[in-house]
Amino acid sequence: MSRAEKRVEEAILYALVSELQRNEEIEILSFPIAVMMVSTTNDSFLKRRYALAEAKRAYNLLKQENKDKLTQIANTFNWKIRPAKIETVDFLLRFVDFLRNTTGFHETKWKLINRKMLDGEVLLTRDEAARLLAEEVRAHIERRLDTKTGLELPQNITTRVERLQQLFLSRKGKMRTEEMPREIVLDAFPPCIRQLYNTILSGRHISHIGRFALTTFLINSGMTVDNVVDLFRSLSDFNERMTRYQAEHIAGGRGSRTKYIPPKCDTLRTHGVCPGMDEICRRIRHPLAYYKRKLQIMKTVTQTPVAPRA
Amino acid sequence: MNRIETKAFVKEKFSNYYRLSSASIEPPSSLTNREFAFLLFEERMMLRHKGFANTDDFRNMLKTVVPSHVYYSSAHYEKPEEEMEAKGWLGADLVFDIDADHIFTPCGKLHDTWTCTNCGIKGRGAPPENCPNCNGQKFDDKSWPCEICLETTKGETIKLIDVLTKDFGLSPQELTPAFSGHRGYHVHVENEIIQTLDQVARKEIVDYMLGIGLEPKFHGFEEGEGPSLEEHGWRGRIAKGTYEFLLSASAQKLEEMGLKKPVVNSIINQRDKILESWKGRGPWKMKGVGPESWKKIVQKAIENQSVKIDTVVTTDIHRLIRLTNTLHGKTGLKKTTVSVSDIERFDPLKEAVAFKEGTISLLVSEAPEFRLGDERYGPYKNVEVELPTAAALFLLCKGAAQLKEEKPLV
Repeated sequence: MSRAEKRVEEAILYALVSELQRNEEIEILSFPIAVMMVSTTNDSFLKRRYALAEAKRAYNLLKQENKDKLTQIANTFNWKIRPAKIETVDFLLRFVDFLRNTTGFHETKWKLINRKMLDGEVLLTRDEAARLLAEEVRAHIERRLDTKTGLELPQNITTRVERLQQLFLSRKGKMRTEEMPREIVLDAFPPCIRQLYNTILSGRHISHIGRFALTTFLINSGMTVDNVVDLFRSLSDFNERMTRYQAEHIAGGRGSRTKYIPPKCDTLRTHGVCPGMDEICRRIRHPLAYYKRKLQIMKTVTQTPVAPRA
Repeated sequence: MNRIETKAFVKEKFSNYYRLSSASIEPPSSLTNREFAFLLFEERMMLRHKGFANTDDFRNMLKTVVPSHVYYSSAHYEKPEEEMEAKGWLGADLVFDIDADHIFTPCGKLHDTWTCTNCGIKGRGAPPENCPNCNGQKFDDKSWPCEICLETTKGETIKLIDVLTKDFGLSPQELTPAFSGHRGYHVHVENEIIQTLDQVARKEIVDYMLGIGLEPKFHGFEEGEGPSLEEHGWRGRIAKGTYEFLLSASAQKLEEMGLKKPVVNSIINQRDKILESWKGRGPWKMKGVGPESWKKIVQKAIENQSVKIDTVVTTDIHRLIRLTNTLHGKTGLKKTTVSVSDIERFDPLKEAVAFKEGTISLLVSEAPEFRLGDERYGPYKNVEVELPTAAALFLLCKGAAQLKEEKPLV
């Protein structure tokens, strides 16, 4: 039980579960208990963090395994994988299994187009295979965390869970990102949004995904539906009823009530909306993240000009 | 004859087709899990969220509704008739769309015309961003499926099939290429394992086709080294693209892409050497061409080798797709599938002809020269002609002609 609590605590504090292996039995049994503990918190942020931490632990262990063992583990997840007989390559993995487990990765070496692929199989090193397996482990744990247990837990466990929740809340405060300003700051727009915005202002046509990116961006950075509708007014095919409906839908006021956010940079690049990156773009992956960062930079710049007093 | 009567006439012809040929229209696999949608002649309204229990019900619907366009979902749903949020997505076939609208074609699309809705001025080719006369932005455009456009899209389709079979390891039996009935091709992939791929994974497939995000350092580029022609996947494609580009590009073209004069001269003067170099380790170590210049050349090679698919269709996991052997309301041609082995010889303007009997008298306002089957027609301008049904319907569907005389509707 203590080990279970420790696992979660480590996840919260260091985003990594240690490889303590003094007693194998404890190590094995503590895992389902830890999963149960995290599961009962119903905190999706904590669940993600815990799954990630366990996956890192898994990666560190998997790295040390030999090819046969890795193949065996991969097979339990229904991967189609086989050892390779080529130099510097250890495995051949079916591209579908590769794609499924790399969608969360951002390094360019994980993009399918940057891999050697032949006949539907992606070439991998042993370390890379371990990394992808760890990702599979993460997804697996997340799924388990999301299954409702419906169990009434004994007092000694709930106390531990409550303590962990408190610990997590105190950490989460530090991780929280900055709030959006109330006014829209055009100067802080990323290049893609600025281009779309200018295109709309001049009344020129933009693609469907371009419109979606612009509208979601503006709504999420605090623009009212009325102002968004006005912006589209200059378009020749402007239809007030339709535009308002779509803007309200995006703002979460209609239908499924989901509030939409703009597509990621990666997606905008695929659909030809990205006009090319600037310095800030290189450090972010999402237009809204650009906006926040640029606001931050602008703030520091406007604050510094004050001459230091003696 | 006015527009409404023309429309009723076209609908009557479509009705004949669906009455006589519905047996040739196969519903998609997993019929009961698909959503169907029909665009209607009268209201120009989409009848959506339709589901069918069996093939007969579906064919009867075609006969009674007589839609101008017939679509089904690439997605499989638990309850296809529910609203989007409640459908219960089970998976989706992987679909590619290659359309002349989105790609450069050597014909320059001079057969297409646009009319500014504001001032009425007309022009040729793709519509401009702003009207040169009144600065307006809205145009009525008429696009024609010309042979060059269709040849270009077919070429891209063949490239796509090549990547899908060689790189992705799909078997030709899993791929269904088809002429859309208008300006391009679809390739439909039905493979159980691919069905559950999400949008992000499909986006990676799109990037793979278009060459987006490709970093040469992962493809054998390293200090004067580069890929060779025999290599597989993108490595071989980059080599092939570079080979073709360096062999054919004019000095002007090389300069236009931002190469400096001395670099251009090195390339032009060493063409023989470049050609020879491919037998060895490639031209990558060539004198006078530095890393920055190579970057630009390789980028050109990637553009040349990439497959020009529509990015939205493939990433959309709820997409509606035209059903094979149904009529395209803009042409009166049917969407026609072709096997991977036959696509080279495939003639869309022959195979997709749905109406093979009778003639119709028309008043054609304006149409460029076009071919259907083995016959050529046009160009026409304000003339009365009697044409075979398929050619006549083509012009009527395109809005380029009206019926000459009142015909009693059956």
